[in-house]
Amino acid sequence: MSKDILVIGGGIAGMQSSLDLADMGIKVHLVEKLPSIGGKMAQLDKTFPTNDCAI
Amino acid sequence: MLDVGRHPNLELLAYSEVEKVEGEAGNFKVTVRRKTRYVEEDRCTGCGACAEKCPTAVPDAFNEGLGARSAIYSYFAQGIPSTHTIDPDHCRQLNGKKCGICAKTCQAEAINFEQEDRIIELNVGAIIIAAGYDIFDPSLIPEYRYREIANVVTAIEFERLLSASGPTEGHMDRPSDRAVLAEIAALEKKAKKSQKALDKLEKKFDEPSAAFYGKYQAGEYEGDEDRKKWADKYASHLKIVEPLEELKKKAKRFTVAKRLAFIQCVGSRDFRFYPFCSGYCCMHSIKEAVIAQEHAPETTSTIFGMDIRAIGKGFEEYKIRGGNNSNITYVRGRIAEITEGPNNNPVVTYENTRERKVESREFDMVVLATACAPTKGIGTLAKTVGVELDKYNFIKTSSLSPVDTTTPGIFVCGCAESPMDVPESVAQASSAAQRAAEIAFQSELEKEKAVA
Repeated sequence: MSKDILVIGGGIAGMQSSLDLADMGIKVHLVEKLPSIGGKMAQLDKTFPTNDCAI
Repeated sequence: MLDVGRHPNLELLAYSEVEKVEGEAGNFKVTVRRKTRYVEEDRCTGCGACAEKCPTAVPDAFNEGLGARSAIYSYFAQGIPSTHTIDPDHCRQLNGKKCGICAKTCQAEAINFEQEDRIIELNVGAIIIAAGYDIFDPSLIPEYRYREIANVVTAIEFERLLSASGPTEGHMDRPSDRAVLAEIAALEKKAKKSQKALDKLEKKFDEPSAAFYGKYQAGEYEGDEDRKKWADKYASHLKIVEPLEELKKKAKRFTVAKRLAFIQCVGSRDFRFYPFCSGYCCMHSIKEAVIAQEHAPETTSTIFGMDIRAIGKGFEEYKIRGGNNSNITYVRGRIAEITEGPNNNPVVTYENTRERKVESREFDMVVLATACAPTKGIGTLAKTVGVELDKYNFIKTSSLSPVDTTTPGIFVCGCAESPMDVPESVAQASSAAQRAAEIAFQSELEKEKAVA
């Protein structure tokens, strides 16, 4: 049995679940296909409806 | 994003892919391929000196091909990890040419052309799939003429044009105008080179090229081979300079895009492609129109759609505010076609269903609100991990357990499950984390039981 978790994809969803788990004290392995994490959200300039910066 | 890079409980395996998954909930054996970056991760400081010196320019995927990056690159400026990567398809050295400039430039000695892929094995209790989505390719809809008309762009391309860190530094320069500017730059480079050669000849014969060329054409230097070469060079120089001047004159009239059209449901709610509603595109278009108007207050936007679906906290208010304060007009109707008018302006022909009229309007730029399509690699990934897909190729779930896949111990969140916006993705991600944690803590309990 293993307590570790694997997360596939480092976009906003993958990052959020990884951080939640890591904060619970669980060891997380986050696999991302591209050279950097961030996914589509990192490409966005601002987010609706508050016009907050995406990065 | 920064937290992900430095959390002590989080091992970030960027530039990697899952190759094999075996086992069951509580005990999965996972094989991950760490693709070679040709850069030592523990040495690279991310300073970017290599990228500055690299002679190869490649279209930048992060900027949707609207800008260029070098063959050694960081995916985007604030990217985590900041380790640079060599693109093996474009690197001169890796394609058998003599180069290696990056290796000479790198003070940390991080470049390693001999580096190979590494395979690592992980033992995990649960898996969360957050593989995301792809942007629907609008060139599949012939009447929108995406790629044929330069000033018809996708919403994500427009996003990069709006971004201060994007290829235009936030100016809404039109792609057709940018192409002309790139052509001017290329011609100027050529003209400079040929002018240099002419300068040498002018010095040799002690006469300006233009004056000489007039005499040469009048037949004064017949039979003089050296002067014939000079004349040929000058003629080819004129062939560069004349179109260059024309383009420069044209470029003087360029302004940023001020009349914008947004077309909704490009690929979604369309039985030829995806019958579902992608959910976020209406708000995305409104947001882009609001930001565009913030950049240049005289900007006007027209949003064409069947209906505007502003379902979410604060969304309807945002839509109304956009109409009142940001020069946005909402037109109900579908687009028949987009054609190219004078000045590279796209012309939109549509049925205004409120007025019951077919109308045509010219814009500076058209933005296509593209559908949320399942990501291309999802079929392979689903097979590797061992989960089922639904009829559209999103990961299959049921309405009462929206983050559980068909295999116990494997969960899904974000647009890999279905189209959703950022707040929904975040909520679902926390939910999937919770489900995965149940398994993690169960295995811990069982370990304790075994000890007891």
